[in-house]
Amino acid sequence: MLALLPIAAPALPLDEAGKYVAGAYVVFLALIFVYVAIMAAKLQRIERELHELASFAEQGNGEPERERVTADV
Amino acid sequence: MYGKGLKSLSIATLAALVVSLSLVFFYAPLDADQGFVQKIFYLHVPLSIVALVGFIVGGVFAILHLRSGDSRWDAYSYVSIHMSVIFGVAVLATGSIWAKASWGHWWVWDEPTLVSFLIVFLMYATYYPFRYAIEDRDRQARYASVFAITAGAFVPLNFIAVRLAQSLVHPRVFATTGGGLPGSMMFTFLVSLLAIGLLWVTLVKFELTAKSSSGQLKRLRRALDAPAAGGRSRVAPEVS
Repeated sequence: MLALLPIAAPALPLDEAGKYVAGAYVVFLALIFVYVAIMAAKLQRIERELHELASFAEQGNGEPERERVTADV
Repeated sequence: MYGKGLKSLSIATLAALVVSLSLVFFYAPLDADQGFVQKIFYLHVPLSIVALVGFIVGGVFAILHLRSGDSRWDAYSYVSIHMSVIFGVAVLATGSIWAKASWGHWWVWDEPTLVSFLIVFLMYATYYPFRYAIEDRDRQARYASVFAITAGAFVPLNFIAVRLAQSLVHPRVFATTGGGLPGSMMFTFLVSLLAIGLLWVTLVKFELTAKSSSGQLKRLRRALDAPAAGGRSRVAPEVS
């Protein structure tokens, strides 16, 4: 159905209204993009901290601790 | 825990957004009155509906938190409100662009629909300083829940008040008497509403997953650091 849509579609009138419509959709997409970028930065931080804790745990700080960490994860 | 089903939900959201945009630009007819600029309607109105419903959902989660005392519901409430505030920014931005295109002004102060949404948005903007001004976590969660319930109850009351008001310029598309959208426009609108709704749910789930992971990480750090209590910390300090 989607493949047929462009055939049935009317020509887009890119007159004065076009820049406003494009502006509205671009603003929306930009907001989503900024949000996703912030979330990506947060996930990177979590990954970095997790890596740091995993390295710490692997350095051999006693078996009981390691077992507890494994159970938590 | 929160990440379960996130992948399939994300794919469904992306597919719904693609279908929605295709319908908006290739299927829905041009509006006889506004022409091409009316395409903003399929973005602006679903965003505002989802944002307002999200605020109410945040209030419902807050009720569940106060009833059960389970901090999980507080997290749901916080993230619902947080996401709705982000959607609210998009509503104000797209609405202003549409207003400029249709009415020649970025903002019209004597229009109840616009001003009432701004009031709701600003009210929820105070949620963050209100919440984080309280240091004790339990009190913070309780007070934030009371705020979310009160503000959530205000949203439908505000909506009804605006519908009862006599507007001069803002169109009433879903009028109670006659009018309304033609079938193809209504179908496109409903698909857009579904897509934006799915986007809200996906982002809420995404945020909850990140928050949960961050919380688990802090727990892990505390567990690893516990035997060193009294001495210096063996793990690098938390990055906030």
